[in-house]
Amino acid sequence: MNRWRLRHLSTRGLLYVGAILLALQAAFPFFWMVSTSFKPPTEVFAQPPTFIPNDPNWDNFHRLFTATGFLTYFRNSLIVSGLAVLLTMVVSAAGAYSLTRYQYLGREKIAGLILCTYMFAPIMVVIPFFILVKKMGIENTHFALVLAFTSFCLPFTLWLMRAFFKTIPLQLEEAALVDGAGRVRAVIHVILPLALPGIIATSIFTFILAWNDYIFTRILITSDELKTLPVGVQDLFHSSLIDWGLIMAAGMMITIPALLFFVAVQRYLIRGWGAGAVKG
Amino acid sequence: MILNEKEGGALMLRKRKLFGMVILILISTFFIPIMVFPAEKKVVRVWHTETEPATIAAFQEIINDFEKLHPDITIKQEGLAWGDLEAKLTAALAAGSPPDAAHGQAVTCASFYAKGLLRSQEDIAAVIGRDNIWEPVRMQCFHDGKYYGIPHSPNVSLLIYRKDIFKAKGLKQPETWDDFIKVAQAMMERDKDGRVTRYGLSLPGTPLFINILVGELTAANGGRLFDLKTGRPTFTEKQVVEVLDFYKKLNDTVLPPGWLGHAYLDTFANLATGKAAMLYQGYGRGAGYIEKYAPKGTGNPDHFGVMVKPHGPSGKQTAAQIDAEPWMIFKNAKYPEEAAEFIKFFFKEEEYIKYLHTVPIHLLPTLKSVQRSKAYQANEMYQRWKEWVDMDYYYFEKNLAKPTLITQWADLKLPFGLEILGSGIVVDMVTDAVRGMPSKEAAAKAQARAEELITKLGYKRW
Amino acid sequence: MKDLSDPGARPVASSGAESLSATIAVQPRLSRWARWIPTTRPKRREQLAGALTISPALILILGLTLYPVAYSIWLSLLEKHSFFPQERFVGLENYFYLWKDAEFWSSLWLGTVYSIWTIVFQVVLGVAAALILSETFVGRGLVRAIVLFPYMVPTIVAVILWKWLLNDMYGVVNYWMVALRIVRDPISWLGADHIMLSTIIMSIWQFFPFVLLSILARLQTIPPELYEAAKVDGASALRRFVHITLPQIWGILFVVILLRSIWMFTKFDTVWLMGEGAGAGRFIRTLPVYAYMRTLTYYQAGLGAALAVIMFAILVVCTVIYFRLFREEADIG
Repeated sequence: MNRWRLRHLSTRGLLYVGAILLALQAAFPFFWMVSTSFKPPTEVFAQPPTFIPNDPNWDNFHRLFTATGFLTYFRNSLIVSGLAVLLTMVVSAAGAYSLTRYQYLGREKIAGLILCTYMFAPIMVVIPFFILVKKMGIENTHFALVLAFTSFCLPFTLWLMRAFFKTIPLQLEEAALVDGAGRVRAVIHVILPLALPGIIATSIFTFILAWNDYIFTRILITSDELKTLPVGVQDLFHSSLIDWGLIMAAGMMITIPALLFFVAVQRYLIRGWGAGAVKG
Repeated sequence: MILNEKEGGALMLRKRKLFGMVILILISTFFIPIMVFPAEKKVVRVWHTETEPATIAAFQEIINDFEKLHPDITIKQEGLAWGDLEAKLTAALAAGSPPDAAHGQAVTCASFYAKGLLRSQEDIAAVIGRDNIWEPVRMQCFHDGKYYGIPHSPNVSLLIYRKDIFKAKGLKQPETWDDFIKVAQAMMERDKDGRVTRYGLSLPGTPLFINILVGELTAANGGRLFDLKTGRPTFTEKQVVEVLDFYKKLNDTVLPPGWLGHAYLDTFANLATGKAAMLYQGYGRGAGYIEKYAPKGTGNPDHFGVMVKPHGPSGKQTAAQIDAEPWMIFKNAKYPEEAAEFIKFFFKEEEYIKYLHTVPIHLLPTLKSVQRSKAYQANEMYQRWKEWVDMDYYYFEKNLAKPTLITQWADLKLPFGLEILGSGIVVDMVTDAVRGMPSKEAAAKAQARAEELITKLGYKRW
Repeated sequence: MKDLSDPGARPVASSGAESLSATIAVQPRLSRWARWIPTTRPKRREQLAGALTISPALILILGLTLYPVAYSIWLSLLEKHSFFPQERFVGLENYFYLWKDAEFWSSLWLGTVYSIWTIVFQVVLGVAAALILSETFVGRGLVRAIVLFPYMVPTIVAVILWKWLLNDMYGVVNYWMVALRIVRDPISWLGADHIMLSTIIMSIWQFFPFVLLSILARLQTIPPELYEAAKVDGASALRRFVHITLPQIWGILFVVILLRSIWMFTKFDTVWLMGEGAGAGRFIRTLPVYAYMRTLTYYQAGLGAALAVIMFAILVVCTVIYFRLFREEADIG
C-alpha cells in the first residue's frame, strides 16, 4: 500500500510541476505585457526592469481608446471573425460528416483535393485573391474578408473535423437508428455530444486564425473604419513615435476578452460528456 | 442502415431543405455589411506613409476642410508603413486599380515615371509657385523638365550625439571616419566588470536603413554606386570597399554586438536612455522620442545635439540622405484630377501647417514661403530644437543630401533603382562584411548579384 | 473483452451491403487505386446525401482558391514585373533560374530546419501538455485558459512582445541571465547568430497550444473504462500511455501533425516580422519569406510564383510520403 501511495504522490507532484511550468511559460509574457501597459514611458526602459510598475496609471489605455481607432478595430475583428467561424463550422461540420459517414465515388479523392488547396502558401494567394475579389466588386468589404478567411480555414477545419468524426464509432448511430430515431435525431443526441469537444476545439482554432489574419486584411481593406485589430496594431507599431506602453495596452485589451471567453468555454472540454453512451 | 425507402427519401429532403436554408441565411446576412457609396460622390483614395496618429488626425482635418469646399468629393486616406504600402500598391496595380495619389520614394517615382504611369504635376507646381518649391528637393521626381512628384515634406538623416558627454570629455568634432571612431570610442563607458554600459554608436540593422547608409557613406567617400553611362554597378570600386571596411571597424569597436537585429526605433531608445552615445541615422522624429523616453531633465538639445557628419578617406565632403517622399498621382486611377485638386489644397499654408506641426522637427516644409512664415515657426517644439532644423537646412543648402541609394542626382534616371533597393543585395553585402568576409570579396559577390539582377530585368547596357 | 471505442477492432455491422459504411473506420489494406472503387454499390440516396453535405464546402473552397492557385501557376511561367503589366512567357525558365540560385537553396535549407524543429517540439510539448491538462487538479480551468494565450495573441503582438523580452539592451531575459550569472554579457537573441533559435523558440511557444487543444479534446472522449481496466491489470503509466492513449489519439495526432507541418512550412508572418528578410533577417530567410521578397521587394512576380509552386510541390510529395509511412488508423493488435 505504501508503495502505491508514494508512486501516486510523486506522480501527482510531477503533474503539478508540469502544470505550473505550463502556466508560467504562457503567463509570464502575458504578465510582462500587462505590466508594461501600466508603465509611463520613462519606466519602460528602466534597468533593472521593474515587474510591478512604480507609478502605474491608465494613461496608455486612455490614449488607446481615445486617440486611436482601437474600439472600431475590435468591433470589426469580432464581426468578421465571428461570421467566418459560423460559416466555416457549419460548412465543415457538414462536410466532415459527409466524408466519414457517407460512401460515394471519389470521396477520399475529394478530401485529398481539399488538403491540396491548403498547401498553397496563403502569402502567395493574396494578390490573385484580391484580383478575384475586385472582379466580384466586393473589395474593401467585410464580406470579402469573411470569404478570404473561409478559404484558408475550410480545408484545415474539414480535415480536423473529419479526424474527430472518425473517432466516433458508426455503431452508435446505427444503434440509435435501430432504436427508431431519425437520422437527424441520431446526429443530435448521439454524435453531437461526442463530437462537441472536437467542434469546440476546431471553432477556437478557426476563430483565432481569422482573428489573427494580417495579410488578407491589409490587402483587401482600405477604409480605416473596416480595419481589423492586427492591421490596426501594426499601424500603431509602425507609427513613428513608438509607444511601447500603448502597444502592450492594445495587446492586453485584445487578449483579455478572449481569455475570459475561453475560461467559460473550456469547461465543455471535460471527460465523460456523452462517453457513457456505448456499453459492452 | 435500416431505413426504408420512403422514410429515407423524406429525411433526405428535409435535410436538404435545412442545409439550403441555413446557407441561404448565412449568405444573405453578409450583404448587409457591404458599404455602397452613393453614386454621385467621387471617392478619391490617398495613400501615405505617415502613420503617427496625430498626423493622421491632422490630415483628416485637412480632408474635412477640403470636402466642405467640394461636396461632391470624398477623400479616403490611408497611412501605412512603407513595406505595407509597397504590398498594397503592387496588389492595386496588378488588379488595375491604383490609388489616386500615393507617397513613394524617389526611386519609386522614377520607376513609375519611366513606365508612363504618372500624371504630371505641373499645374500643382504652378499653383503653389514653381519658385516657391525649395530648390534642394525639386529633383526628387523631376523628369524631362516637368514635375511628376512634389515631396510632401523633406528632412535629412542626422548625426545625433550626446552633447553633454562630448563636452565633458573635451572632444573635437570628427572630420574623417577614423576621427569619428576615435570620438565614438571615447564616449563609451564600461562598468567595473568590463561590460559595456554605453556603446559609441547605434545603427539600425533593418534593410531599408542599411541601404540608406551605404548610399550616404559612399557619397561621403567621394564614390558612386552606379556608372552613369552604362548603369553598371560599381560596388567593387575602392570607395565602396572602404565603406565596407568602415562598417567592419564600427562593428568591431563601437556598435552593440546585436546591432543587425536592431530596428530603427530601437536606436532611438538606445540613445535616449544612454545605452548609446551617437546615432548616425537619426531623424527629426527622434526629438519627440527623446523628450518622451529620456530621463527627466535630459530630454533637450543641451544633452542631445547634432553635428556635421564626417567624410571618408577617399572623400572630401560629407553627405547625408534626404527623406522626402514625393506625392505621386496615377494617370490611370479613377479620379486623378480630383486628387490633384486635393494636393493643391494640401499645400495651402493654413492647411499645410496643421500637418507639419504634428511632428515639428521632422516634417519640414517643401515650400519656402511656409519655411519663412511666422505661423509655422511659432511652434514650441520647433523653437526648442531649432539646432536640429538648422542642421537639416545646412545639408540642403549645400546640396549634400541625396535620396536612398542615390549618390548623384542622375542616378534617378536609372530604371532599376527600386528593384536593387528591394533585393537586399546591398544589405547582404554589408552583412557578409561584418560577419567576417573580406570587404573586396563581399563587394565582388554583391556586384555579381546586382549585375545578374539588372540583366534579368532587361536593363543591361554594358 | 471487446473494446468498442477502439476503431481498429470494430465488428462489422448487420447486413452485407450496408456494412460498407462500417468499413470507414476499418481501413482495408487495398491498393491505392482500389480504394476509389466501391466494392458494392452504395444506395443512390446515400450518395446524394453525401454529395450534398460536402458540396457547400467544395464549392467554397474551389471557388475561392482555384482561381488564385491557377493564376499563380500561370504566373510562374511568365517573366512579369510586380508593378507593371508587361509580361513575357518564358515557360520553365524561372524554375531553371531558381535551380541555379544560391539564395533558393539557402532558403530551402533554412525553411526545412525551421519547420522540422518547430513541428517536433510543438507536437511533443503539445501532447505532454494535453496529458497534464486532462488530469483533474486544482486550478485546472485557469491553466487551460491561460495556456491558450500564446496562440490567441495576434502574431504582431506576440512578435513585439518577444522582441521586447529578448532585446539585447533592455530585455528581461538577458537581464536575468546576466544577473544569475548564466552568461557574462547579454546575448543578442535577435542578432545574426541566434535569430533562428529565437524564432524557433517563439514559434513553438506560439503554436503548441494548437496541438495541446486538439489532443485534449480527443482525450476527453476516450472512455475512462479503458484506463481503469488497464490499471486493474497492473499496467504502469507508461504502458497505459503507449497501449491505450497513443492509439486512441493517433487519428487526431496524424492529422494535427500533417496540418501543422503544412502550416509551419508555409509560415510567413512570424518569420517575416522577426527579421524582415534582410539584415539579421537574412539568417531566417525561409522559403515563404524568399517567395515574398521575390514578389514584393525584388518585384519579380514570376519568380515569386514559381517559388510558391515549388513549395506546393514539395508539400504534396511530403504529404504523399507521410500518408504512405503512417496509416491514418492505428493498428491495434
